[in-house]
Amino acid sequence: MQENQEEYSIMIDDVYKTFNVYLDKANTIKEKLLFLFSRNRKEKREVLKGVSAKIKKGEVVALIGTNGSGKSTLLKLLTKIIYPNKGKIETNGKLTSLLELGAGFHPDFSGRENIYFNASIFGLTKKEIDDRLEDIIEFSELQNFIDNPVRTYSSGMYMRLAFSVAINVDADILLIDEILSVGDEHFQNKCFDKMLELKNQGKTMVFVTHSMESVRKLCNRTIWLCDGKIKMDGDTEKVVDEYIKAIS
Amino acid sequence: MLNVFKNLYNYRELLKTNVKKEIRGKYKNSFLGVIWSFLNPLLQIAVYAIVFQMILKNPQENYVVFLCCGLIPWTFFSTAISRSAFTMVENGNILKKVYFPREILPISVVTSEAVNFLISTVIIFAFVIFSGIGITKYILVYPLIFIAQYLLLLAISFIVSSVCVYVRDLQHFIGIFLQLLFYATPIVYSIDTLPPEAAWILNLNPMTYIIEGYRDIFYNQTMPDVQSILILIGIVLVAIVIGYLIFNKLQKGFAEEL
Repeated sequence: MQENQEEYSIMIDDVYKTFNVYLDKANTIKEKLLFLFSRNRKEKREVLKGVSAKIKKGEVVALIGTNGSGKSTLLKLLTKIIYPNKGKIETNGKLTSLLELGAGFHPDFSGRENIYFNASIFGLTKKEIDDRLEDIIEFSELQNFIDNPVRTYSSGMYMRLAFSVAINVDADILLIDEILSVGDEHFQNKCFDKMLELKNQGKTMVFVTHSMESVRKLCNRTIWLCDGKIKMDGDTEKVVDEYIKAIS
Repeated sequence: MLNVFKNLYNYRELLKTNVKKEIRGKYKNSFLGVIWSFLNPLLQIAVYAIVFQMILKNPQENYVVFLCCGLIPWTFFSTAISRSAFTMVENGNILKKVYFPREILPISVVTSEAVNFLISTVIIFAFVIFSGIGITKYILVYPLIFIAQYLLLLAISFIVSSVCVYVRDLQHFIGIFLQLLFYATPIVYSIDTLPPEAAWILNLNPMTYIIEGYRDIFYNQTMPDVQSILILIGIVLVAIVIGYLIFNKLQKGFAEEL
């Protein structure tokens, strides 16, 4: 059993996640005391209801489903930004999320300095960043602007820089939320090629996307989430076909 | 437990850049820049010296030196704590977006303040040298007391920063509490001037041991009381374990609460 476990990059075991949705949030003690006596302005929203899945090393998996089905929540749980109420999640290997690009970017610092800030948030050391700096700048195609403050960048340039950092982190597991909408067509194609390259290198990837076209091209396996439960899990072609039938 | 250290070690670059950002950001947009690290404590010492020596006639010998041995470590203590209260909320945006060991934030606050304190220590040295008190071999104990203070602050910072996420009131309460604690620590007066019935209260305050320690080294030029140091080390070790446990428990909800 033990050696079996090592093949897996991600193990999700019967995970439940409930959010407290505050209709009127009490932040201070006074408000909290007042709210004790008034009606409870809190609502529980069950987002994931018992999700289990095992993802092998090197698998490229798409998470699909309608809005509010819990895809992004599941990704956030995998990155350990939030924690499940019940169940267990285990990940094996260095994990990078491309959930929110450009976290930790500081508008007043130059692109180059921001590469260092951003990459250090992903857990890279100074030396590792030095080694990757050229690749990152080259991939972003921002050579001419790299020493300008990031606040002077257009939103497309900003995303390109952020994406280039994240993709060069050299993680074993990549979590990607709707990223193929970064930049212009040329850059999108480049990202797509990079994804394929990483796939061939044997990285584990989990995508959240609504673009069925890229799901078909990239992923061998697809998990369809519906209302916080897994509705279907298996071969991409089959799941996507069923999904398209169901929503149209 | 070992995992905690390993994880922090992996993210050492983040810790480094964060501390740098905190230090650089502190005096950003001010004309005098890092000079404020000296000017601030000097002016503070001047204020307290005017009030307590000239107006209230404190008879302490070399009162300014006496004051600066207490006031400078106190500033380290109070700024680190009050800034810890805000660090999670200030960084809420990042906390909600990416994973990194959350401990990094309180550690960065305390470490950047520690660097500031080490810079201001130059003032203490200047005062003891120019007032003719001089420096003795007891200075070797200084790193020990400094580390004890650093760890104590880490412990408090873990608790304050994480509890403030859930109870924002604490941010406001802390200012008042620190003011109270300032007078419950022998900074502007000597513990010997208190009646013994009152002195025991001060001994409940770990900062008393720390300030007395610094004062013995620099002002009284004696070996700090070994028993006090042992008590201090005991308090610090217990505090850091409790502080981390509380932090670890609360940190899981940060992204949802912020």
